[in-house]
Amino acid sequence: MRIILYIGRRLLFIVPQLLGIVLVSFLLVKSIPGDPAVLMLGPTATPDAIASLHRKLGLDHSLPVQFWIYLKNLAHGDLGTSWQTTRPVLEDLIQRFPATLELVSLGLLLAVLIGVPLGLASAFNERGWLAGIANFYGLGAGSLPDFWLALVLIFIFYTTLQWVPAPLGRIDLTIVPPPPVTGVLTVDALLAGDWQAFRSAAGHLVLPALTLGLINAGPILKMTQSSMEKMLQSDFSRYEVLCGMPRRLVVRHALRNALPSVVTIISVLYGFLIGGAVLVEIVFSWGGAGQYAVQGVLNSDFYPVLGFVLFSAIFSLFVYLVVDLIYFAIDPRISH
Amino acid sequence: MPAFAQSIGLPPQNSAAVALLVERLRVEFPVLRGKPKVAIRDLDISIRPGEILGLVGESGAGKTTLARAILNLPPAPGRITAGVVQFDGVDLLRLSEGELQRIRGRDISMVVPNPRGELNPLVPVGVQLASIAQVHLDKDRHSARAMALEMLQAVQIPDPERRMRAYPHELSGGMAQRVVIAIALMCSPRFIISDDATSGLDVTVQAQILELLRHLVRKQSSAMLFITRDIGITAHFCDRVAVIYRGEIMEIAPRESFFLAPRHPYTMLLLAAFLHNPQLRRAWTPPDASVRANVDTEIGCAYTDRCPRARKICQTTKPLLAERISGHFVRCHFPLERE
Ligand SMILES: Nc1ncnc2c1ncn2[C@@H]1O[C@H](COP(=O)(O)OP(=O)(O)O)[C@@H](O)[C@H]1O
Ligand SMILES: [Mg+2]
Repeated sequence: MRIILYIGRRLLFIVPQLLGIVLVSFLLVKSIPGDPAVLMLGPTATPDAIASLHRKLGLDHSLPVQFWIYLKNLAHGDLGTSWQTTRPVLEDLIQRFPATLELVSLGLLLAVLIGVPLGLASAFNERGWLAGIANFYGLGAGSLPDFWLALVLIFIFYTTLQWVPAPLGRIDLTIVPPPPVTGVLTVDALLAGDWQAFRSAAGHLVLPALTLGLINAGPILKMTQSSMEKMLQSDFSRYEVLCGMPRRLVVRHALRNALPSVVTIISVLYGFLIGGAVLVEIVFSWGGAGQYAVQGVLNSDFYPVLGFVLFSAIFSLFVYLVVDLIYFAIDPRISH
Repeated sequence: MPAFAQSIGLPPQNSAAVALLVERLRVEFPVLRGKPKVAIRDLDISIRPGEILGLVGESGAGKTTLARAILNLPPAPGRITAGVVQFDGVDLLRLSEGELQRIRGRDISMVVPNPRGELNPLVPVGVQLASIAQVHLDKDRHSARAMALEMLQAVQIPDPERRMRAYPHELSGGMAQRVVIAIALMCSPRFIISDDATSGLDVTVQAQILELLRHLVRKQSSAMLFITRDIGITAHFCDRVAVIYRGEIMEIAPRESFFLAPRHPYTMLLLAAFLHNPQLRRAWTPPDASVRANVDTEIGCAYTDRCPRARKICQTTKPLLAERISGHFVRCHFPLERE
């Protein structure tokens, strides 16, 4: 009952939050110098042609009116059209967003699988060799650029060892992609029972996901280590030791108390990586949403950028809602 | 051990019956690029079964450090560098972590101050209590729960059934204190350390909790080290009283002797403060405290720089904790003399 009220209240706030995000990003995007009409018509365009294209695109209206029109279209599910792809932004994003989501989710999963155990191990034994590795790793992962690591991995695993397919897209060009259901190729291939497509899609996923995993394990490791250390040194852990509680119980309780900070850093990374994985997307020609948005920014193509912001905002808000529910389940101070 | 017990004034016939014996205990805190700070200096204490020993001293005197060092768990980053803590024929300072686990919370338990911060915020109170019984008394889940409930009733928590399911943040300070006492008494320990357990509670709750502690200690005939900053409480609560200053025992005596004939200048100051007697207080404060040299507490008396009676010898020779009359020990070159 409490939890339903809680979710209800959260959902109520989502609409004004989204409106605010759309407004701010609208103003930001419009402040980028560059005129799409000039880019679309090329260098030989006459001023008359440019002015008439402006009218056609609605760029002759004042900024508030433009925003109002955008909102009105948004209400009908129309996110505008990209002049580069000449397709509705919604269609483009529905195609590309799952690609990014698939990559980022798997990358983050790897990061968690690397970061959390290493962080825990080093928290248990602050002076042990695992802690040494963890510290070194935390430093290293934090200082490496992701695209550079991606190139190194490509050199090792594609160029030299030939273990993975060429870093060109999400599936071999010779293979017919499975019919889109979720947009996530590996899942769609499984749904279609197409093993060949699944193998190819998974093979293409390995290196970019590994890149993201290795890079983002750093902050997760650090957060796990520091919050676990803090909890093991906290008053209640010391008190449990004072009461003669066995080590594994003390550790389990400390872990539960450390969990919220770890969940928080994971959720922040999740939201960030939707756009933050763009360099990795570019290196692997992933064709994801981040790449799409960057193309939009570079070419004064407003609507893809706005659409991307909207999609990532909704995704982030959804992730944060899930995180809140996890807090809710863990911490009685919130739920009671 | 008997020889030592005798030397600190236990009647010979009782010398075998010592609940806890601390000898030459030394706890140091490391100091960055310097000599470590000695928080407990070569401290001796013995407590008999059934006895409540009060330990009084100002904040920073080393009371908490002593309490935790007895359980071989000094506050980090402190280290026990010397000494013996004899309990049940074994030296706790020589035991492994696993052996200590079986003693802590079962044979020796501790009532901590500020218990709301010491209880695990994510675990219901009843579960925390029951896990003590499960771990130390090998109870199954069900009977451990029953024991926990019984204990909550024993410490007179209102509505114990409901409190079992409560989380620490839902308890008042007084209730949390009772929970910690319940945890401490769960396994009928033979030795209880109460560290400032009643400070910060309002006076009526404090009185109730003291009464409860005494009742339960007497019922189980346990011994207790009762640590407090409030010398007044010890007057009606403790059998013997010890005064600690900068990690050293300055005076230790049976209650009557301690309050009727206090001998150490520092004890006089504590009593003056407690009695709100400014005249007495002035009399036991040196007029020129600031001009005194910083005394090396390693060789001199730790109280020299605050003592109105201090002379040259106090700076150069540490007085021994010497017996003045039966059972009344004072560490002072110039104690107050009584007939
Ligand atoms: N974490 C610490 N780091 C350094 N020194 C400490 C620490 N905790 C305690 N001490 C030292 O030990 C002395 C005794 O502290 P404590 O046992 O907490 O006193 P009390 O409980 O009597 O107030 C203090 O004066 C302080 O100098
Ligand atoms: Mg203290």
